[in-house]
Amino acid sequence: MGRTSKDKRDVYYRLAKENGWRARSAFKLLQLDEEFHLFQGVTRAVDLCAAPGSWSQVLSQKIGGQGSGHVVAVDLQAMAPLPGVLQIQGDITQLSTAKEIIQHFEGRPADLVVCDGAPDVTGLHDVDEYMQAQLLLAALNIATHVLKPGGCFVAKIFRGRDVTLIYSQLRVFFSSVLCAKPRSSRNSSIEAFAVCQGYDPPEGFLPDLTKPLLDHSYDPDFNQLDGPTRIIVPFVTCGDLSSYDSDRSYPLDLEDGSEYKYTPPTQPPISPPYQEACTLKKKGRLAKEIRPQDCPISTADTLSQPLAASQRHTLLASEVEDNEMNCSP
Amino acid sequence: MEAHEDYVWPRATSELILLPVTGLECVGDRLLAGEGPDVLVYSLDFGGHLRMMKRVQNLLGHYLIHGFRVRPEPNGDLDSEAMVAVFGSKGLRIVKVSWGQGRFRELWRSGLWNMTDWIWDARWLEGNMALALGHNSVVLYDPVVGCMLQEVPCTDRCTLSSACLIGDTWKELTIVAGAVSNQLLVWYPAAALIDNKPVAPDRRVSGHVGVIFSMSYLESKGLLATASEDRSVRVWKVGDLRVPGGRVQNIGHCFGHSARVWQVKLLENYLISAGEDCVCLVWSHEGEILQAFRGHQGRGIRAIAAHERQAWVVTGGDDSGIRLWHLVGRGYPGSGVSALCFKSRSRPGTLKAVTLAGSWRLLAVTDTGALYLYDLEVKCWEQLLEDKRFQSYCLLEAAPGPEGFGLCAMANGEGRVKVVPINTPTAAVDLTLFRGKVHSLSWALRGYEELLLLASGPGGVVACLEISAAPSGKAIFVKERCRYLLPPSKQRWHTCSAFLPPGDFLVCGDRRGSVLLFPSRPALLKDLGVGGKAGAIAGALGAGSSSEGAETASTEWGPVSALPSLHGKQGVTSVTCHGGYVYTTGRDGAYYQLFVRGGQLQPVLRQKSCRGMNWVAGLRMVADGSMVILGFHANEFVVWSPRSHEKLHIVNCGGGHRSWAFSDTEAAMAFAYLKDGDVMLYRALGGCTRPHVILRESLHGREITCVKRVGTITLGPEFEVPSFMQPDHVEPGSEGPGLTDIVITCSEDTTVCVLALPTVTGSAHALTAVCNHISSVRALAVWGIGTPGGPQDPRPGLTAHVVSAGGRAEMHCFSIMVTPDPSTPSRLACHVMHLSSHRLDEYWDRQRNRHRMVKVDPETRYMSLAVCELDRPGLGPLVAAACSDGAVRLFLLQDSGRRLQLLAETFHHKRCVLKVHSFTHEAPNQRRRLFLCSAATDGSLAFWDLTTVLDHGSAALEPPADAGLPYRLGAPCLTLQAHSCGVNSLHTLPTREGHLVASGSEDGSLHVFVLAVEAPELEEAMGGAELVPQLRVLEEYSVPCAHAAHVTGLKILSPSLMVSASIDQRLTFWRLGHGEPTFMNSTVYHVPDVADMDCWPVSPEFGHRCALGGQGLEVYNWYD
Repeated sequence: MGRTSKDKRDVYYRLAKENGWRARSAFKLLQLDEEFHLFQGVTRAVDLCAAPGSWSQVLSQKIGGQGSGHVVAVDLQAMAPLPGVLQIQGDITQLSTAKEIIQHFEGRPADLVVCDGAPDVTGLHDVDEYMQAQLLLAALNIATHVLKPGGCFVAKIFRGRDVTLIYSQLRVFFSSVLCAKPRSSRNSSIEAFAVCQGYDPPEGFLPDLTKPLLDHSYDPDFNQLDGPTRIIVPFVTCGDLSSYDSDRSYPLDLEDGSEYKYTPPTQPPISPPYQEACTLKKKGRLAKEIRPQDCPISTADTLSQPLAASQRHTLLASEVEDNEMNCSP
Repeated sequence: MEAHEDYVWPRATSELILLPVTGLECVGDRLLAGEGPDVLVYSLDFGGHLRMMKRVQNLLGHYLIHGFRVRPEPNGDLDSEAMVAVFGSKGLRIVKVSWGQGRFRELWRSGLWNMTDWIWDARWLEGNMALALGHNSVVLYDPVVGCMLQEVPCTDRCTLSSACLIGDTWKELTIVAGAVSNQLLVWYPAAALIDNKPVAPDRRVSGHVGVIFSMSYLESKGLLATASEDRSVRVWKVGDLRVPGGRVQNIGHCFGHSARVWQVKLLENYLISAGEDCVCLVWSHEGEILQAFRGHQGRGIRAIAAHERQAWVVTGGDDSGIRLWHLVGRGYPGSGVSALCFKSRSRPGTLKAVTLAGSWRLLAVTDTGALYLYDLEVKCWEQLLEDKRFQSYCLLEAAPGPEGFGLCAMANGEGRVKVVPINTPTAAVDLTLFRGKVHSLSWALRGYEELLLLASGPGGVVACLEISAAPSGKAIFVKERCRYLLPPSKQRWHTCSAFLPPGDFLVCGDRRGSVLLFPSRPALLKDLGVGGKAGAIAGALGAGSSSEGAETASTEWGPVSALPSLHGKQGVTSVTCHGGYVYTTGRDGAYYQLFVRGGQLQPVLRQKSCRGMNWVAGLRMVADGSMVILGFHANEFVVWSPRSHEKLHIVNCGGGHRSWAFSDTEAAMAFAYLKDGDVMLYRALGGCTRPHVILRESLHGREITCVKRVGTITLGPEFEVPSFMQPDHVEPGSEGPGLTDIVITCSEDTTVCVLALPTVTGSAHALTAVCNHISSVRALAVWGIGTPGGPQDPRPGLTAHVVSAGGRAEMHCFSIMVTPDPSTPSRLACHVMHLSSHRLDEYWDRQRNRHRMVKVDPETRYMSLAVCELDRPGLGPLVAAACSDGAVRLFLLQDSGRRLQLLAETFHHKRCVLKVHSFTHEAPNQRRRLFLCSAATDGSLAFWDLTTVLDHGSAALEPPADAGLPYRLGAPCLTLQAHSCGVNSLHTLPTREGHLVASGSEDGSLHVFVLAVEAPELEEAMGGAELVPQLRVLEEYSVPCAHAAHVTGLKILSPSLMVSASIDQRLTFWRLGHGEPTFMNSTVYHVPDVADMDCWPVSPEFGHRCALGGQGLEVYNWYD
């Protein structure tokens, strides 16, 4: 397969590397902006769950360039520094983080809050969808502290079984909620973006980070589990048709005539959780199972006896002997 | 969209679920397994067998089960009755069951209680339950009435990834919470004096550098184990956690998994962990790995349970399989490697070759030409003979058969062969066969009647010796029967041989990778006049090489049939005949299933062995009817089971290049090899197999990408499937005739699976898996469905042709034949024959120096397939493929699937094409016309009139002369912008007006329209122009927010009814024909990421069936 195969499979991955974006997701924010003009009049923007930083890159380029623009990036993980972006390594569920953001904006609220965060998927769909929803609700919760009325909130959603519950939750806080999918997001992916405009919290709502926002539950009247009435917000496809197709496999020589040259990834991950395990594996120091041949017997005479299953572990010995069970599948 | 009065009709009900097993619990001798919302109850001791007692359906509604908590009974008796709390996601239900005497009854179930947040752990506190919720709070709940008694949050309301509750009363209740910050938080809910007042954590424990997925507390030893995203398991000495302020000490940090660790469980003396790498590890508390259980496939093991008394570990996988393993502590009993201590002053020389005669006698030869015997029972060496002529170069092979027939053969570099009776070595017979080196020796045994020894000499000549014994047993007779001639190659010798039952032919493999068929008695064949032709060819060949090799005047017989280079350049390693098939193995990492029809060898199926095992050395049939593969994996000898994907035996022997021997009987298997001048012997009692049990076979390891129903088989009462369930399980009305639907699925795990889904038992049986693809399989198409004996044959059975396609632009065509077989659980057997394959970039693999070049071509994936059956007799069907590089390609299948060629293509879409669908238009007084519809990621549909295209383009439907230059398909006859983005489902139905076309998209919308095929005016046609019909859209409707996610399944059932399925996990019925499609009803199903759906009518009594494939498989049915 080689190192070019990912470049061929995913044109945006390749373009991101070639254009110096830290991740292909930069194109998603650019295409969302094409449709919704998210950055118009925005001077203060917050990027939640920013690592590896591609959205912060876009924000700093689009807003930071306007002189008065401020971009704050928040993430639990360390992130390589970016020019024009103020980084906070902190937890978005903590009030201190919200205060720090406001402080950087000199006491003024943000115009735009974006969140492209996703938990590391476990493959169990219900858990992944739940964790993604909690991340979005945590982002929404902190956004209620920092967002100005009429401000805009963009966050990644997984369109799974319970996405309508997310929509109903967002509708409480925003006058307009849309589901948008940029063309750089693959057809095969269940991700989409909730674009919430016109921040308008319900009357009497007091932002409170000490209590998590819990997701809504199905409602027999206006958001049914299996009935005809569900809150499905309008869907918008972003990015024009002439843009590259993220599902299409392109040849390495693109149509614009540019010659292919392999580009290494812009920013490799900083200290992933599996780092130590990988180092140990590389050095061959992962624990290995004890195999019969690893405890060799010098002569054949000892062979007929079962291998010295250490007598320290006698827990199950007697029962195993009695077990005459005929185990058939 | 308003509800209609009759919206209850039709109502889909779930019939069968195959999902990842996410919960497991041993309760006495019962095993509870959670699969989706259902609980499978297994009895682990009934009559000495493991069996499934019952599937308790729909305990958790649309939630998935993540765990069970059985209420501890004061008297400790859980064998007859138990109160089980079942929880998962935000749901909790209590069910009281009676399961004594092998009978299962559900006595009572509570309501399904919905929590406000995710339940990470649950614990019985006398009659109530404590629940650890998603944002670090604990709830005391009355599960019978269904009311919350108390809720206590922690001051730190972080999102949790796991939790563990300890203690038996609310007062002593302790929660260990795994926070997203990778810390463990220990706190005491009872410390809240006022309700709802947050409690501060008592202790915070750091250590893991990833999220904690699972925890287990062992009260008796005061230990806590945690499993994490950082691929490690940590063991903590915590003492009694119920006492605040205790010291927490990390006493073990276990790295052994090669991916995230999902589950951990502490037992009295062991620690069990399982993870994303599909391995379940058994550790000592000190952190040594004692055992490793490998066999699950896909994305890991999701649940583990242990039966401490029986020393069983049960694992449930993402592949929906459940396996039971025997915990034996350190290594397997009765197996191990030992050196046989050959080196001695009394035995000069170094060992050159070793062989096993049966399972208890080992023979070895030294470079002094001495032959030694080692008896494994007596455990001593004995010299049988010494012959100086066999020094320096000597081949040694013992005869096959359980006791090795008491014979072995030696061969030297001067063409001499010696056959030695082991018991009377003095009666050895010597023959000089060739003037040069004997390259190889092999035996062929037919029952106890015929024993042949084949010896390869120079020039590809193989001498076939007939061995017989005198009635006294003291003498043997060796007679040369005939000579065979191998096809020319550089290394021209045979490697293996076997009789083809009944015994008229020998199947041989050679060093060049070819499989050859020789008549076992060519002279006799010639006399009968059957083999005249073959003999003549052989004679001619023999004449050509006679100058160098032939000392005798006898003819050298060529093969009557050959499969040249079947196993590649590295050669064939073994041939085995079993059950009407020939199995060959080779050093290309594959094994082939072949059969002989009309005296010709025909490949049936190529199967890959386990990953990384490129040297397959042999194949054995074991007692339970399954096969095991022998091979070398790097420096290890491996016995691998394709059925359980388990490496049954691993011997670190140093690789296959040294001399080795293998023998197996039901009692024991033995593997001998030379190392450091000594014979090393690995023996395992119990033969090749291991006592591990597959409680439930796994399905696919990764997502299912396509589901297609092939047909139905009706089995008569003689094939009565014994219901494993209680008789009361079969609900009245669902007993129909013995109908079994045959469904094929394909998956990202690169396999295609044939499934049998009986309507009676609600079970699924995987009949066979086809593993020819090198990348994920994304699409299937089926055609030519019939019965094995033709339409007149009343016997049950089914035949069909299948095309599968997927990643790496790879396409395979094979046929399946399903026939009754009373010996299998499903009463069916499936035979697969591979017919042809095609890859767009095949040329690339043949290119030299390709590792130095950059392949510029796109990595095309096939996204969807459609079969277009031509009306011209004798012509195979066309297969249309949607390609990710933006093309729609047409392939021509000829010779009933044996030839697959690219015919035409079009790049009309210029975007990834997601779907293709074909349909025919038939109208009175008009020619049958073939249409193809394709849909791409931009939401557009294109229609192609294939009949017209084929008339114009390729007159005789001949594939293009240059395979790299297919014909152009031309412009579509109609295009339509149906959606704003990708089209994920497409279906059509002929109606009175024309065709009803429906498509579903990524944006959750449906598009339905009527397509009319309008024939041109007759006057035009008179003018000589062809009758090219025009497509016109009559009525067009769009339902924008039909689903909340991609619509991936769509079927128009009738002109007034349509069903759609989406990733939002809803199966929705739509009423058609009255203007805009209207919502009728929808059902929430359990399979996430549904990629495909197929529906079919079964019978009037049974209604429709619908199979949904995604991350699992679910079957629904509804009555019409």
